[in-house]
Amino acid sequence: MEILDKLINIALIAATLRTTAPILLVALGGSFTTKAGIFNIGLEGQMLAGAFFAVLGSIWTGSAFAGVACGVAAALAFALAFAVLVVTFRANEVVVGLALNILAGGMTISLMKAIFGTRGSIVGHGIVGLPKVQIPGAQALLGSWAPLVSGFTPIVYVAFIAVPLLVLFYNRTRLGLYIRVVGEKPEAAEALGISITRVRYIASLLCGLLAGLAGAHLSLGYITMFTENMSSGRGFMAVAILIFSNGDPLKVLAGCLLFGFADAFSLRLQTFGFPSYLVLTVPYVVALTALFALSYRARPKIIKETLASMQKLLSTDRNSVPADKNPQ
Amino acid sequence: MAVELTGITKRFGAFTANDGIELAVRRGEIHAIIGENGAGKTTLMNILFGLLQPDEGSIRLNGEATVVADPAVAIKAGLGMVHQHFKLVPSLSVADNVFLGMEIRRHGLIDHAAQVARTHELSKRFGLHVDPTERVGLLSVGIEQRIEILKVLVRGARTIILDEPTAVLTPQESRELFQTLRSFVAEGMTVIFISHHLEEVMEVSDTVTVLRNGRKVATRPTSELSKDELVRMMVGREVSFDRRPRAALHGDVVLDVKDLWARDDRRLPAVRGASFSVRAGEVVGIAGVAGNGQTELAEVLSGLRPASHGEAWLKGRDLTTLTPAAIREAGFAHVPGDRMVRGVDRNASIAANTLMGRQHRAPWSRSGVLDWKAIAGNAGALIKSFDIRAQGAADPVKRLSGGNIQKVVLAREFTNGADFLLIDQPTRGVDIGAQEAIHSEIMRQRAAGRAILLISVQLDELAALADRILVMFNGRIMGEVSGDNADEDRIGMMMAGVLPEPVAEPLS
Repeated sequence: MEILDKLINIALIAATLRTTAPILLVALGGSFTTKAGIFNIGLEGQMLAGAFFAVLGSIWTGSAFAGVACGVAAALAFALAFAVLVVTFRANEVVVGLALNILAGGMTISLMKAIFGTRGSIVGHGIVGLPKVQIPGAQALLGSWAPLVSGFTPIVYVAFIAVPLLVLFYNRTRLGLYIRVVGEKPEAAEALGISITRVRYIASLLCGLLAGLAGAHLSLGYITMFTENMSSGRGFMAVAILIFSNGDPLKVLAGCLLFGFADAFSLRLQTFGFPSYLVLTVPYVVALTALFALSYRARPKIIKETLASMQKLLSTDRNSVPADKNPQ
Repeated sequence: MAVELTGITKRFGAFTANDGIELAVRRGEIHAIIGENGAGKTTLMNILFGLLQPDEGSIRLNGEATVVADPAVAIKAGLGMVHQHFKLVPSLSVADNVFLGMEIRRHGLIDHAAQVARTHELSKRFGLHVDPTERVGLLSVGIEQRIEILKVLVRGARTIILDEPTAVLTPQESRELFQTLRSFVAEGMTVIFISHHLEEVMEVSDTVTVLRNGRKVATRPTSELSKDELVRMMVGREVSFDRRPRAALHGDVVLDVKDLWARDDRRLPAVRGASFSVRAGEVVGIAGVAGNGQTELAEVLSGLRPASHGEAWLKGRDLTTLTPAAIREAGFAHVPGDRMVRGVDRNASIAANTLMGRQHRAPWSRSGVLDWKAIAGNAGALIKSFDIRAQGAADPVKRLSGGNIQKVVLAREFTNGADFLLIDQPTRGVDIGAQEAIHSEIMRQRAAGRAILLISVQLDELAALADRILVMFNGRIMGEVSGDNADEDRIGMMMAGVLPEPVAEPLS
């Protein structure tokens, strides 16, 4: 019991919120493209570019917020490249997404080498981290619960406020509705004179915006440094969450909280002396198991159809009567 | 007049889909346009709605000469079209779908409550029962159609075009639709209704226009018409083919169908207790207005659709238990009704198309490797013997005309040694010269002792080729007529379902 108390406490929940924020942001960004019918596997690269350029911007300008703006601009550039290739030139989404991910990985490493002459990570150099927002009166009102609402960097608040905003966006605004229509039934959009190309560009850029924020949070909010490949698969986890949540903001939130909790929990476990490599797999194992369990019942149609047709083949091979041969 | 079309002609390449069609639709009537598949009904309506531009002819809407350049023009003039294929978004509510593209907004946000209220009001007024808040993905096709009609209504349509609206409906839903159409007319609106089902045309319309092969046959008040008159106008009474001479060489029964039942895509019974047999050296024809179960019958026999009851024996094997590949192995050749969908791969060469289905057999394939020399040589021989007009065996099939594509299918199916041939609409969309050639080829197969089941919506074709003609109506075989002196009136009556009762045991 004592160990459990040490493991699970308010600090852990606060850490969960902090670790959830980047993946929540990038997944919410991906929700735009998912809803618009684009399978965006390039989230990882956009996030990584965002993280790197946020650090650069922060060093150059000496301002954390200018750094965030730089990160977002870089992610937007990646999103625009993605949209041009996928929407305008109709290139394969997976190929383009993967290519941009590889580009982001390589580009950050070589720029790091060129600018800082180092490999591995950028620490110091006058990076300005994002300030923590202390909500006035939180301490007095909530006492020991205050760390749950106060003391996060601004991007954490943005991430969580974005969830209800996106619910409203998809349900009550024209653009949100059109994004859904374009993704779900492009022929309906076409028949009504909605430009599929324009809607998909907008969705891609909105995605880049949030992915850039997520990246900036990694390097300026989480910890104040950039390391090689620091998005470490969060963009791919976001893709997994998007597939299973179909881009619905509330389901995205649930999936991200689960992942964030496992992430924070694994950090906690490390302090108890578990082997770190094993511990680092925890968030991914937990998230994938949960997602698989959730989606098992709604497993893809193609698997169901394959099973059904195999059954038919087996039964007809024996020259027996098919199952649905009931008299009228 | 709500709509006046004058001299509308539309050509697609060498094919004339509409040939100088005149159509006048009075305001406040239900005007049915009836004709076989390919008669040009949908083309004509697409021209009226601005989806296609006519090569010749003019359009007047509400008395004003109008160039309908695109659907926006038609909608502005008060036209609305409900297509055969619905364009609804499954995850959105009924009301959201109805107002998609013209949302009601308040303070920049979509006002769901107002949309729901408006949808509810319209649906009540016209008997289009829907729950405006329900998600479309959960609804049946019949209700989806109501939503499409509501979409047209909120856009202010006064003349509503429905393209084959009952094709996807159950009989119950069709009756409800007809009530709605009558309520439109009661409010002074006009309905144009495309169909190939005479029953419903007789039931619901005030005026009928019959199209055949892209031409208008007649426009008449429905009350002056009888069902079999309508059938005769649809399928045409002029016999353009002479009966083919033949020797009687009937052999043993090859195909024996016993009490066969099947459902259509809507899960409704489409074939109801068909029983018949086909002997070697015999052409058995199946007549009927399209959509009376012929397609489903062909699909069941070829293994593409499960039978819900009954048997179909081909040389000791029950086809209803076999896969399409096993059925073909059992000695079954199939000339499908829609050659572009099931008959050929339009991008593949003639050689590849003549190979399909026997690619694993010698001499085309040795130890699993295709022998393209042998395949091309064979294709070249087939091009000659079936008189396929092409540059060579390597030509992609899509470059050929409809008649020559059909000959490619025949060349493949008639040369694979099958004892039984299922031939569905062999001359649909084929020019006269090719029709004659295809008929001759079918007669050669008969003389070679093959058992042939010939499905056609063209009576003259059946009268020219068939030894016996079975007439299908509403999934049942209504009766049998000898091909030697085919009594067209009698067949026409059966096609219209007029015979008092179906013959219980039509054949030996």
